[in-house]
Amino acid sequence: MRIAIDVFVAISVFFAFAGTMGIIRFPDTFTRIHASGNITTLGVLGVIIGGVLYSGFYLHDGGMVVKLLIMGVFYLVTSPISSHAIMKGAYKHGVRPDKEMVCDKYGEDMVEEEEE
Amino acid sequence: MKKSSFPAMMSTAVLCFLFWLVITGQLTAIFNGNVSLQSIVIGICVSLFSGWFSGRFLINNSPWFLWNPARLVKLLVYLFLIFPVELVKANLDVAKRALSIKPKLNPGIVKIPVDVQSDYGMALVADSITLTPGTVTMDIVDQDDQTYYYVHWIDVATQEPAEAGEMIKGKFERKVKGIWG
Amino acid sequence: MIFEEFVFFAICFIVMALCLFYRLIVGPSAADRAVTADCLDVLTDMALILFALYSGRSVFLDLALITAILGFLGSVITSRYLEGRL
Repeated sequence: MRIAIDVFVAISVFFAFAGTMGIIRFPDTFTRIHASGNITTLGVLGVIIGGVLYSGFYLHDGGMVVKLLIMGVFYLVTSPISSHAIMKGAYKHGVRPDKEMVCDKYGEDMVEEEEE
Repeated sequence: MKKSSFPAMMSTAVLCFLFWLVITGQLTAIFNGNVSLQSIVIGICVSLFSGWFSGRFLINNSPWFLWNPARLVKLLVYLFLIFPVELVKANLDVAKRALSIKPKLNPGIVKIPVDVQSDYGMALVADSITLTPGTVTMDIVDQDDQTYYYVHWIDVATQEPAEAGEMIKGKFERKVKGIWG
Repeated sequence: MIFEEFVFFAICFIVMALCLFYRLIVGPSAADRAVTADCLDVLTDMALILFALYSGRSVFLDLALITAILGFLGSVITSRYLEGRL
């Protein structure tokens, strides 16, 4: 059981590392938001699952298990909302990538609406 | 502003009361048998009050919709079996892109059609798209009796709307249609 | 039984959070800083959860939950400001 907990937490550390490198290295704002999604999904879930196993099997503390599950559900509900809101806000604010995007249907449709 | 209905208020109040029990530590106290009556009564009052003024934001119509065992089982299967597989696959893909020496990026915004009708179904599909790294929903529009999502995609494989929709959300949408229609 | 390795994993998370300060300072636009602050918050939460498990005190879990709620509110309010609807 100890090995299983360590593996879950190590998976979490790996994905958090990948997300951190993505945030530091990716070239523009929108791709950085994708890398942040990497941290807030599996980076969180590994620690939550490992913590549930640990506090259930070693600490025998039911309250901690329920609190950890609530935190996991809270992260899964709120992280898509915040990344969607930041991306839409950045686009409306006028942030554009350095390199041209492959296709930009949203911008084309916004321009058409303004012309009408 | 919509008017708050009584069942919506009650279901919100039940949720708030469960949250109160967990946060104040009374849930373990119930198991052990030493419940403080004062805390329970205050919790019921506070959760009824917060359900009274926040029920209309959380639940719009048919508040007891999920108390159907078939639907609940389908939703649990979706949340615990089908969705995590896609989540892990997308995570590995983005992690590979971030850790490779020269990041291979091909970003763009595509427009995909959606067939789900109800509000909760659309919210669940949009959340699933956003929660898998690599795709983020940007906006929802109605055009000519058809709902469209604008999705920012980190690796644009095709710009054709129907084909891109099948690649991004094909599995999610089929399952969610079985639950909410 | 005490898991000492939780402390090492928590230190890993804190080091990553310190690395993110680079993007927080350099980041060209406000949206970059909002994203980075959100992720920094999440990483600090993970370190708090691991320390709560190590020490066996659930007070740190309450702290982590409050930090999560505040980080979510902060990023949503920042994005509403960027969108121009505040």
